[in-house]
Amino acid sequence: MKKFFSLGILCLLPAMAITSYADIARPKPSPSPQQPRIVLHTSLTIVPDNKAYEARLQISQSSLQELRAALSNTPGNESMAQRIAHSSTRTMLAGLFMFLSLSFAGVWLARSVQTRGQKAIAALLMGAAVIGAATIIARANAGPPGSWLWRKLPQNLSKGAPTNGGIDIEIVPDSNDGSGMKLIIPQRPE
Amino acid sequence: MERTANIDLAAWRPRQRAANPELSLRVFAGILIACACLSAFLASWLPLQLSVLTVFLFAGPHNWFELRYFLMRLPVRFGKSRNFFLTAFVGIGFLTIAYVALPVLYSFSLWPATAWPNILASWNTLLLLWLAILVWLRGKQKLKRDWSWAIPVALALCSLNWLAPEFFSLAIVYLHPLVALWFLDRHLGRTRPEWLRAYRRCLCLVPLLLAGMVWQLTRTPALADDNGLFWRITQHAGAQLLPNISSHVLVAVHVFLEMLHYAVWLIALPLIAYPRITEEAHLGVRPARTRRSAPTKRASGQFWDVKTVPLARHPRGFPKLVATALAFSAFLVAILWFGFSVDYTTTRDVYFTVAIAHVLAEAPFLLRML
Repeated sequence: MKKFFSLGILCLLPAMAITSYADIARPKPSPSPQQPRIVLHTSLTIVPDNKAYEARLQISQSSLQELRAALSNTPGNESMAQRIAHSSTRTMLAGLFMFLSLSFAGVWLARSVQTRGQKAIAALLMGAAVIGAATIIARANAGPPGSWLWRKLPQNLSKGAPTNGGIDIEIVPDSNDGSGMKLIIPQRPE
Repeated sequence: MERTANIDLAAWRPRQRAANPELSLRVFAGILIACACLSAFLASWLPLQLSVLTVFLFAGPHNWFELRYFLMRLPVRFGKSRNFFLTAFVGIGFLTIAYVALPVLYSFSLWPATAWPNILASWNTLLLLWLAILVWLRGKQKLKRDWSWAIPVALALCSLNWLAPEFFSLAIVYLHPLVALWFLDRHLGRTRPEWLRAYRRCLCLVPLLLAGMVWQLTRTPALADDNGLFWRITQHAGAQLLPNISSHVLVAVHVFLEMLHYAVWLIALPLIAYPRITEEAHLGVRPARTRRSAPTKRASGQFWDVKTVPLARHPRGFPKLVATALAFSAFLVAILWFGFSVDYTTTRDVYFTVAIAHVLAEAPFLLRML
């Protein structure tokens, strides 16, 4: 019985070694592929030029500054409109406070005034506040999807006409094929 | 009780006028105009140097005079203003602590740089809502006025603040010195209403001087902020936020406004602030000395005398507390001067952070005068 038990243990030991890979170094976790990171949203115009010998990428001074600032993760010298556009949280809160302001102003005006004209102004203010709130909720200020602006690119290229649309600048890991930049244009079947 | 609560308000109403008020008015207006013109000239000529000098000399003393002025305005019993003062003091305490904590938190790098505008906007929002509540509470004490318009106005300002919090903070830097002029206006309205018209005419000079300064300096090159101190001064005036405006203009305008601010607190208000001590006989307040021997000289020359503060003079007042507060503040002024002498740049940074308390304290006391 004792011999049988010892034999059983001896058989079990290599079996456990197989299960736990005890003699093999733990494999190094393979580095997860770096996800592309969108650093800037701007606009791009594709212009066919039959006189040009080389493709050119023209970047405006302000776009370059924005790109630099985005890459270094610093605010940079942004204009007021750019600051607002780049902070959705602040824009939403500004809208919320403006909505509250108009609402309170309407209530205050309605309570404090007596004449019909002033009551009309109060009603207008209340209406503006409600419309503002509805706009925030419905995201009515959101533009069309990017693919909509690029939908006529093939036709425009064949006609030699420029096409303008929005573009996200992404930073991606170096590719093996040696390509420096890649332009991906969305296309949806008509 | 109400009479007790409002004893300080009555103390400001004049019973006697100067023997020759016209002459005094001319002197007062002359001093105002001379101070404004001299400040504008010096601020335009040597903005950085003057900024260093004025903060060194006047920052601490002006805070001391401000504290004394607020103690003068503080009623012995809050009475119906209890909620107003409670809100005011809680707000001052909380907002000051939060403001002072911001640079400390920044040094720990707890949040990314992009989050700081949101944090700044949050502080500004709390400030605006606190002010709105104060205006609303003050309006409730006025029977004939409805001040609830302050709520939508404050919310609209909150909205603007969230669009550009840094600009909102910069606006506070430039607008705060002007609050002193408002204090002087209200004080003249209570104590010398016949001077008010002349004073407001003199005030018209301020925008003219500002326009002249901007016109003269707008094409000047930016100031050389090549050392840490000068860089801080230009940043404080908004040179980074307004890169298209010469830093010379920004610093000069800021220094000019600061000098007006200091002049009001250190010269104008102490000169005209205190009524004759004999007036207290009309108010039912026990005089500091016996009535027979009550002095007729102005208390303006006795700003160190604790008994000229109603809160200390009143039978149910707190003379020891007032004396301790003023003595401790004087000690802090001395500490501030010592700090400026040892390390001007660091002390300046610390001062402008902690000094937010006096900026906040001005709001409730100004509202009490409206």
